[in-house]
Amino acid sequence: MRRYVVRRLLLLVPVLLGVSVIIFMVLHLAPGDPAEIMLGSQATQADLNRLRAELGLTEPLYVQYIHWLGLVARGDLGRSIWMKRPVLTEVLGRFKATLVLTGAALVLSTAGGLALGILSAVRPNSLLDRLSAVASLFGASMPVFWLGIVLMVIFALWLGWLPASGMFAPYGGGDLRDLLAHLALPAVTLAAASVTIIARLTRSTMLETLGQDYIRTARAKGVVERAVVLRHGLKNALIPIVTVVGVQAGYLLGGAVLTETVFAWPGVGTLMVQGILARDFPLVQGCVLVVALSFVVINLIVDLLYAWLDPRIRYE
Amino acid sequence: MRAGAVVRALLVAIVGLLGPAIPVSAQPAGTLVVGLVAEPVNLDPAQVTDLNSNRVGRRIAETLVTFPDESTQVVPGLAESWTISKDGLRYTFKLRRGITFHDGTPFNADAVKFSIERQIDPEHPANKLGKYPFANYFFGNVKAVETVDPATVEFVLKEPRASFLTILTAAAASIVSPAAVKKLGADYALQPVGTGPFKYASWDRGQRVVLEKNPSYWRYPVKVDRVVYRPIVEGQARLTELLTGSLDLIVDVPPDFVAQVEQSPKATLLKQVGAHVWYLGINNQKKPFDDKRVRQALNYAVNKEAIVRDVLKGTGSLSRGPVLPATWGADAGLKPYPYEPERARKLLAEAGYPSGFSTTLWVPESGSGMQSPVPMSTVIQSNLKAVGIPVALQTMEWGAYLAKLRTKEQELFALSWMAGNEDPDMVMYPLLHSSQWTPNGPNRALYKNERFDELLHQARLTTDQGKRAALYREAQRILVDDPPWIFIDHEIQTAAHAKRVQGLKLHPSFDLRVETISLK
Repeated sequence: MRRYVVRRLLLLVPVLLGVSVIIFMVLHLAPGDPAEIMLGSQATQADLNRLRAELGLTEPLYVQYIHWLGLVARGDLGRSIWMKRPVLTEVLGRFKATLVLTGAALVLSTAGGLALGILSAVRPNSLLDRLSAVASLFGASMPVFWLGIVLMVIFALWLGWLPASGMFAPYGGGDLRDLLAHLALPAVTLAAASVTIIARLTRSTMLETLGQDYIRTARAKGVVERAVVLRHGLKNALIPIVTVVGVQAGYLLGGAVLTETVFAWPGVGTLMVQGILARDFPLVQGCVLVVALSFVVINLIVDLLYAWLDPRIRYE
Repeated sequence: MRAGAVVRALLVAIVGLLGPAIPVSAQPAGTLVVGLVAEPVNLDPAQVTDLNSNRVGRRIAETLVTFPDESTQVVPGLAESWTISKDGLRYTFKLRRGITFHDGTPFNADAVKFSIERQIDPEHPANKLGKYPFANYFFGNVKAVETVDPATVEFVLKEPRASFLTILTAAAASIVSPAAVKKLGADYALQPVGTGPFKYASWDRGQRVVLEKNPSYWRYPVKVDRVVYRPIVEGQARLTELLTGSLDLIVDVPPDFVAQVEQSPKATLLKQVGAHVWYLGINNQKKPFDDKRVRQALNYAVNKEAIVRDVLKGTGSLSRGPVLPATWGADAGLKPYPYEPERARKLLAEAGYPSGFSTTLWVPESGSGMQSPVPMSTVIQSNLKAVGIPVALQTMEWGAYLAKLRTKEQELFALSWMAGNEDPDMVMYPLLHSSQWTPNGPNRALYKNERFDELLHQARLTTDQGKRAALYREAQRILVDDPPWIFIDHEIQTAAHAKRVQGLKLHPSFDLRVETISLK
């Protein structure tokens, strides 16, 4: 097992290298460069040439890439072209906020999705099941920015219960209560689509599992229904659910970009968007590396969870 | 029911935690909280090119000459007076004495020399600490900055340029503390030190920039203790935060929310036309646009009133040319092109296009000063179709768009210019003088009119403002007869503030002077 984990972690290196090459190429293939955007519509060709040279953009692409790689090897992601800040501290600082938001959304969507899915599976075609199907369709088809704004108007503007944006109150605040109040709307918004996907999948796998012979045996033995559903049913249905939750974790991490923008959440998503618009290559590279790294780690965790859930699965 | 009890306890805990947070707390008495559209990029005035950074950075560092609170006429700033040599090549400034930077070091002629030379002299020790994008645009014409004595500094120009005083009002001309730059190095851009009404306090990335009042500000006592700037991209979120009392002031109220703010008892809407122009550029060198009758026809064909009324909801003022109306260089006799599609069709027929022609219009999705580019261009598209010119609309991302305009392949294109001052030289020369054709300059319409070029050149050599104004008025009349663009509007900037905010006026330069505010 330990060897497996080490091997998987070593595999990170080629994965991250590949990701960085692709991002580097894509960013440089897109028309426009940081000099163009910094200078804006007032730019003259002479100014552009001068700034490009200063930024090292006149070097051949592979030289620029190798130069960047050299920095990374020394644990330095460079300085943002645009913001003049060291990329590493900037990205890590912002990534914390994204983790908080994504984590909260993942907890909400997993808990909500499991509960809805189990209840629907226990009573298929009941009113609750049908309502949950309609809600799922709604949740899955609402764009994040629309849902976020609707929730903001209701809970912040009309009811005045929750703050509309940011992570902490602009002045004072800063404690857990302040954080939770600011987290509520974005976390619910971000979780909305995932909760329905997890619910629908839980429902179908649970229905299948609950139809198995060993469930009938358990019931025949006189096991209480709650234990039948949760211990005998759910635990055996969990493998596909964990897979989907893992995929959703990745999706939430990526999907956080829009939610962060709507609610002015100071996460890595908003930073990445700014970076892309400014063609701030070191900054975008740094953001993508961190996000890619967390994707890979999530996948690893999901794989390890399989073995824990199903003792028949072994990694060697 | 162990599980049930746990869930219940959790719910109670969550409600308990959230409950007391519900009344969104108001700010402490002396703190002003401002909602910006985007986070400042950095705060070194010589290194930023965007409005939001400048709106914060200009509170910290100041310029030798500046604008009063209500106009863009040049008045003394850190310099108390100046003289200009007869040949227009030497500008000598007498500096105010006794002013210190926020770090306690004195403001003097050496600081002025340092602030400008670090940008233009590649050998300067501070030159490599940053990138100075506008150094050449603003100071390319500066031959030397000479210190005569600690309170006198002289700028020597390569050639006369009457708008040089206006140039010294630009953020890039801000005077920074040389001691702070030497101490902080490249990090100076993140914690600048100047002489302004507020000093830098802290910056939580993505969340807030905090400035504290400068208790010994030389101009007047500042009444606000602390300003907190928050970046909030989404218009609805900015508005909600204002109406629920968590923000005191927001800028750039989206046009669709203007009516809502005007009716709200909790907020006051501010409007002010800015030194800006939004135009639909025409490639003057491409057929059929090389015929001025075609360009006149395009101007008659577009319903500017409808764009300003229906798309911009009144946040634009009709444009009759590049120069901001009601400023010293504007020709008060000019009228905007009226909306007369019949006349447009007639002109097209005269030019040899009785059944029109088809063309393409390039539009950026967004961009500094671009207002609502896509909806505005869509109206223009339908207006042109009505006179027999079917237009293919191509929208592009801002960075890609700027690169594309360098190809000279454009036919029609939407663009704007935010001069931030009223000097006609700072808008007409770069955008329309034939020496400024892209890619050497921002004249992307490839406009060339010999008489116009000559007038602009003469005006640069003339220091008397009255004489300059006469030259610019003639130049503007040429632009009406031989239009380089379809003239659309000058942006009316908007802001909204809570009732406790007193004394704020929006500035035509798009600056946000929170130092003029007092809090009730």
